[in-house]
Amino acid sequence: MKDEFKPRIIGFLCNWCSYAGADLAGTSRLQYPPSLLPIRVMCSSRVDPLFVISAFLRGADAVLIAGCHPGDCHYQEGNYYARRRFACVRKVFETLGMESDRLRLSWISASEGPRFANVITEYTEKIKKMGPNPAKKNIFL
Amino acid sequence: MKVAKIKVKDNIEKTVLSFLRETIDKKLFDAILIPMMVPAGDSYAWVLAQDKSLLDGAYYLPPIMSVQGAKALSSVTKGGKVNKRVAAIMRPCEIRAAIELSKLNQIELENIFLISMDCPGALPLKDWLKDPKRGVDVFKKVIQHFVDEEPKPDKSVRPACAICHRFSDSDAVDLHIGILGTEGEDILFIPHSTQAEAIFAELGLSLNENLSRWQKGVDEVLKQRKKKRAQVQEELKSTVVGFDKLLDTFSNCINCHICQSVCPICYCRQCYFDSDKVKHPPDDYLMRAESKGNISLLPDKILFHLGRMSHMALSCVGCGACEDACPMSIKVAQIFSLIADRSQGLFNYIAGKSIEEPLPMRVYEDDEFHEVESP
Amino acid sequence: MSSVLKLSRSAEEGLRELLKFLLEKKRVKAVFTLCKIKKNGTVSYSLITDADMLKDALPLFPLMPQNAGKLLSRLTLKEHLAEPIAAVVRPCELRAFIELVKREQGSLENFIFISTTCPGTYPLEMSVNGDISKKLPEYEEDVKKGNVISDTRPICKACEHFMPYSADMTVALIGEKDIDKNCEIFLNTEKAEKLIEGMDGELVERELETEEVKNLRSKRQEEKRKLFEEINVEGLGLSGLVETFGRCIGCHGCSRVCPICYCVLCDFDSRDYENEPSTYESELKKRGGVRVPPNTVLYHLGRLTHVSVSCVGCGMCTDVCPADIPLSTIFLKVGEEVQKIFNYIPGKDVEEAIPLNKFEKDEFTEVED
Ligand code: SF4
Ligand code: SF4
Ligand code: SF4
Ligand code: SF4
Ligand code: SF4
Ligand code: FES
Repeated sequence: MKDEFKPRIIGFLCNWCSYAGADLAGTSRLQYPPSLLPIRVMCSSRVDPLFVISAFLRGADAVLIAGCHPGDCHYQEGNYYARRRFACVRKVFETLGMESDRLRLSWISASEGPRFANVITEYTEKIKKMGPNPAKKNIFL
Repeated sequence: MKVAKIKVKDNIEKTVLSFLRETIDKKLFDAILIPMMVPAGDSYAWVLAQDKSLLDGAYYLPPIMSVQGAKALSSVTKGGKVNKRVAAIMRPCEIRAAIELSKLNQIELENIFLISMDCPGALPLKDWLKDPKRGVDVFKKVIQHFVDEEPKPDKSVRPACAICHRFSDSDAVDLHIGILGTEGEDILFIPHSTQAEAIFAELGLSLNENLSRWQKGVDEVLKQRKKKRAQVQEELKSTVVGFDKLLDTFSNCINCHICQSVCPICYCRQCYFDSDKVKHPPDDYLMRAESKGNISLLPDKILFHLGRMSHMALSCVGCGACEDACPMSIKVAQIFSLIADRSQGLFNYIAGKSIEEPLPMRVYEDDEFHEVESP
Repeated sequence: MSSVLKLSRSAEEGLRELLKFLLEKKRVKAVFTLCKIKKNGTVSYSLITDADMLKDALPLFPLMPQNAGKLLSRLTLKEHLAEPIAAVVRPCELRAFIELVKREQGSLENFIFISTTCPGTYPLEMSVNGDISKKLPEYEEDVKKGNVISDTRPICKACEHFMPYSADMTVALIGEKDIDKNCEIFLNTEKAEKLIEGMDGELVERELETEEVKNLRSKRQEEKRKLFEEINVEGLGLSGLVETFGRCIGCHGCSRVCPICYCVLCDFDSRDYENEPSTYESELKKRGGVRVPPNTVLYHLGRLTHVSVSCVGCGMCTDVCPADIPLSTIFLKVGEEVQKIFNYIPGKDVEEAIPLNKFEKDEFTEVED
């Protein structure tokens, strides 16, 4: 029998909201798949598009950027800029015929433990259906 | 000198690869750094291959030099020694550049086993890209002409290769692969280190001593190349030596600095000639324009080339990478080799020949070069 | 209707005369334009202060040896111009310069921009053996007819932005039947009108946007569609990217000549994108083999995300690429799609902020999940 495909998702979580949301999901003992490798960043706007592309080419099955809801960013406007940059990188992927669904932007606040668990569960399922990232085995990248 | 002779099966390429496969099978190496055909089939890229099966797409001697091999080895070992035993198989000028880079602390040779070969040259990238399939055939002919009992120079190789006289230099390698003078029937594995000899023993390769056919081939090609080199350099002197002629030669230059970025010796992360030091306020450019009525931009074009020469000519290995990549087809490598010959000659130094010889600018003698001092 | 200075000589001579007038009357300190450098007919951008030297100027020569925007940025990186310079540049070069000015890499102050309705330029490699000079008669005929000119760069054949957006003066070329006899210089700004005061020639009124211009625009749009189809950018996918960029030799020449890539030290030449021996080991474990030097596709994807909002489709990257990769086609396509979502035309208006440096509170909700 073939090993079941277990997606690996790299998550860039903003310290003030989404990382705290993840914490809350944990302390509340909510169940969600162990597919996320979280990386804490101070704000969603700290995520350089290159981080996302790098993670993808290194073989992450998906990349999630999560931050405070619009209006709640602890640096006032960071997430608005992050959203524009994300729109740009997604457009680049789409225009090149790459699977842009492997990139995701979600707003998750510190109090939204259940939402965090939902996002991870739902996204993991979606990626499972998409299958492994083809970049994983390519040696010519 | 003792050498192992192997009968060629199918062709030289395949025979060398099956030797490399065996070294992996026998766990003599953990990985091999070797050019591999890229998926589109239109070029070759360096791959550090651990999986033996990858070697099916490998070419120990590809028709082109897409990336100078020393740059690849530097990428692998710049951060320190690798914990694997790696065999790196490269053309002689790539080996020489690697030796220079190791002296410049950009390559760590520990755990690296260097293999080179008699090199017939490489095809110009521009010609190759027009029709890679045809290029493969052209290169087959180049090899045939090269290994013939009476080797003939082949016009399809790069200008830098046509005048290369160190196509079989092998002092610094562990193992040299001799194909000259063999008519493509045999391959000679010539060991240059005790490690190489140990590997031969592991693989059960017997050593015999007959090098005469090979030596004859080497001598003949050497004669041809030296002659060509002298001739080309003589012609070059009349067109580029002298400041005005030099300006003329580089007047086409568009300042892209690709020659510098592909040169294995130019290892600086940030070239001085891209730094803030060469960026000036507008008045500076205007003043220069006013002094002649007209300046071509950017005015530090020639400074870049002369500066680069003075930085690296002592280590230039004449590999031709700069010229091959220059979008304006400027004879960069031919010019640089000419200067390199002269400047290395001053110090009796041959770039990349031996790892023991220190870089000329790192040593001095109390009593020398009085001729450059003014009384 | 705009006011136009009409000179009864060829477009190139007329332009040269204008430049001479500006220098002699000391209305400008210097002229920035293409200039002959060799007998075989190649040109280089030059800074000319002596009016007599203008005899070597070839302001309309169909070659772009460097993107002028990058050079103007170099001239004004440290300080703005203290005295006026007239710069003859192509529309994409002017747009590139404006993008650089928005990034504080140069200053518009004291520049007088003279541009043309741009028929396109030949590939750099054609300048190497002097082929362009032979082409000039044919080129002129096609310019007069308003044709897409054969053997010019694919990116020029597909360029829609061939009318300059913010030039002070525009020399009409496309579809102008007698550019060998008449030179018509559109005066787009008050500054321009002032500068030519006292110059011989007739002042007339006319439109720049002629039928020929409109026709060429639609022909070029068709060329662009074909070009994109040929490369099939949207069908590339990861494997297509690996195939397309597989032959890249990693020289980074494309970023060095790109006007938008202004970084002193490109990210991809920095320590961050070099592999440590341990990274190589972990990659080997994962894949069994790894390309060296690494990050070829990353470089191109990264550069695409960095420059796509501002790529002006000048084609320099393709022109210098030793591996013959159709970079500018891919960059133009991705650039257009990205620019579309921000409703942005790079280099059109210096007042308009770069899209990634601003935001609206209520937008792009479709990219959030
Ligand atoms: S590669 Fe050629 S054009 Fe570019 S800087 Fe070097 S000599 Fe000049
Ligand atoms: S200057 Fe040119 S020929 Fe000399 S080492 Fe560098 S790339 Fe090779
Ligand atoms: S110019 Fe061409 S070969 Fe050089 S880095 Fe860019 S794509 Fe690669
Ligand atoms: S990416 Fe290429 S076409 Fe676009 S601005 Fe840069 S050099 Fe010009
Ligand atoms: S690729 Fe990005 S980091 Fe590199 S020079 Fe261009 S904009 Fe700068
Ligand atoms: S601090 Fe959370 S997105 Fe800016």
